[in-house]
Amino acid sequence: MPAAYRNAKHVAVSIAALLLSAAGLLPVVAMAANSIYVDGSFSLAAYKALWAHGGQQLTPMAHSLLLSFSVAFLATGAGVPLGIALGKTDLPFPRVFAALLTVPLLVPSYVLAVAWTAVLGSSGWVSRSLAPETAKYLSSALFGLTGCAGVLCTAFTPIVMLLTIAYLGAVNPRLEDAGRLVGRWPAVLRYITLPIIAPAILFATLLVFLLTLGEVGVPSYLQYTVYPAEILTQFAAFYDFRAATAAATPLVFVTLLIVAGEYWLLRRQSTETRVALTARQTRIELRRWRWPLAGCVLVWGFVTVLLPLSALVAQSFSYSSYAEAFARATDSLLRSTTLAIVGATALTAVGFLCGYLIHDRTLTLWRGVDALALFLFALPGTVIGIGIIGLWNTPVTSVLYGSPVIIIVGYLAQYAVLPTRMTWAILERIPATVEYAAQVCGASWIMTVRHIVAPLASRGLIAAWICSYVFCMRDLGISMVVYPPGSDTLPVRIFTLMANGAPTLIAALCVILIVVTILPLGLVTLWQGREEPTA
Amino acid sequence: MSAIELKDVSKSYGARRAIDSVTLTVERGERVVLFGPSGCGKSTLLHLIAGFIPPESGDIFIDSELVSTAGKTLREPEERGIGMVFQDLALWPHMTVAENIEFGLRAQRYPDAERKRRVKGMVELVGLGDYLGAKPGQLSGGEQQRVALARTLALSPRIVLMDEPLSSLDEALNAQLRMEILRLHREIGFTLLYVTHTRTEATTLGNRTIHLQRGRIVARPPGAR
Repeated sequence: MPAAYRNAKHVAVSIAALLLSAAGLLPVVAMAANSIYVDGSFSLAAYKALWAHGGQQLTPMAHSLLLSFSVAFLATGAGVPLGIALGKTDLPFPRVFAALLTVPLLVPSYVLAVAWTAVLGSSGWVSRSLAPETAKYLSSALFGLTGCAGVLCTAFTPIVMLLTIAYLGAVNPRLEDAGRLVGRWPAVLRYITLPIIAPAILFATLLVFLLTLGEVGVPSYLQYTVYPAEILTQFAAFYDFRAATAAATPLVFVTLLIVAGEYWLLRRQSTETRVALTARQTRIELRRWRWPLAGCVLVWGFVTVLLPLSALVAQSFSYSSYAEAFARATDSLLRSTTLAIVGATALTAVGFLCGYLIHDRTLTLWRGVDALALFLFALPGTVIGIGIIGLWNTPVTSVLYGSPVIIIVGYLAQYAVLPTRMTWAILERIPATVEYAAQVCGASWIMTVRHIVAPLASRGLIAAWICSYVFCMRDLGISMVVYPPGSDTLPVRIFTLMANGAPTLIAALCVILIVVTILPLGLVTLWQGREEPTA
Repeated sequence: MSAIELKDVSKSYGARRAIDSVTLTVERGERVVLFGPSGCGKSTLLHLIAGFIPPESGDIFIDSELVSTAGKTLREPEERGIGMVFQDLALWPHMTVAENIEFGLRAQRYPDAERKRRVKGMVELVGLGDYLGAKPGQLSGGEQQRVALARTLALSPRIVLMDEPLSSLDEALNAQLRMEILRLHREIGFTLLYVTHTRTEATTLGNRTIHLQRGRIVARPPGAR
């Protein structure tokens, strides 16, 4: 069997790249094509109509951009200092703080909006203990730009914080040591560390900008008109596929533009820090500032995480609320969990192969696969959803389209970047010689992956599975657009009930969703804590 | 018949020429040392011979068979009958000593009894009989070195490539393992191509030394004894 090792590797990664393209790229391309080919001939009618009603679209687009800029600015302002405090200093309990502050990222952002309503709403915790005028002011501020920006800031700050921690860990400590010989830590941070990770911080900021730009749940709940909600309305209310596609085009272009910029920045950043991946990091000794800073982080964690989630739990805290919640949403809960488990498993498999492809540069188009995965992640879920419907809603493919599998296809398209990037990162830490050694022993590629690469990357793969599970479980954008009749997920069911459901019922459903989303993470953390490191 | 033959082989990384028109022959059973300073292209040359990377130009023959030619790999690494000891040893940390040695035999589908016999023979040969169940992380540097040798030799390769495998050891252990390699070469009779930047290793291990500088073979660098 000449070249069996290489062939098996090429076939496996090619299949993964094709699956990613079929799930994500094809729907976007088909969507664009369908919007300009009407009854077999070229037509720009949908775009002309969009242009003609440009005034109507301008306000929601301006709202979307304003909200995205605000959230990106606020999340960066909070996330970078938190990242430095947790990733670069000797702050006590850094893991506990990091876990606490990551919670908002793990729950659907509209759940946070519900939680904040339980705090600041007209009958919320805080409002009840304030003067009526102040309570009214706070309640009205929650609904609108301020509230949306605040809630989404708490939801997306963990992204900036986690990326800051990750990239701080990759800075070559020798560069900082050289700086410390001539200056104190603040100067080293300002002139050496932060400029080195600046592209990564900018990347995180742009990612938050894009995620906010595609956000539907929070603005809808807090009654702030945004552009993606308008697209959804075009699609859901009028079922005007071409108009929805035309309306989605500006978002696709903005995403493409920003992803291209991000991609360029990330490439620069990775080459500057690559040398230090295995080096031991130096930490800033806070001395007398150690506990005061820990207090500040705790206050932030209390205000942004513990307070709203406690209010949510308190609001839901009655037997009748949970009884009704289970009565009305058990089917959605089971469906969501099943879809998230299957989705996470498929995502981990495809993500592992795509990550391997990027790490190994097996195919010449490895960079394209990476860029595609990032682009699809940044694209609003509603846009991908509309594309998937346009591609798969045909008589030939109705079996797939009419089944919950279509939701898995959506997950695969939007979230593949997460396991891909995580696998890539873990494979970069495994020496190439380990695989070479298996190859010269005559092992097949599958045997090498099964017995050498996968066991060495097992912790990273488990993390990738959990991350994929969380994102599948909390997904609203894609599920809301593509779910077949009678097959809605729990986030979709909650979102639907929000319009006229009792606040206690909504709160109970949100708590159930949070528990089911975070449960595997807790279980694996407990299990891994008892395991010996393997690599 | 020559075991390894390189004809006018070149390889670049971007603008940097790592190997520049190298021609060399290693006869069967020979112990050849590739000697040169860090960054002169020694490891690249081994990777070209092993088949991990293809040459840009020139031909590579193993046992007189053309295995790589300009930009093409005609025989994959696993088909070349080559064993390799890497600079970082590349022991699989999640496997025991026995599993590390046995893996290649399983990959080549040796019968159970033969696998066990070979693993036992190898650990005795390198003096690691008591460590069969240990994982690499539990062994000293010298013991890890021996596991890497045993793993490589278990498959009875005709050619063994060694990429500075002793560079991280102290002088005493280095000397001891050099003797070990010479003993194994005497007992098994493989062709050895050994890469080093240390003169002592070069003089002890090679019955022929090839000097490499800036990717080129030089007769003997100025100042060399």
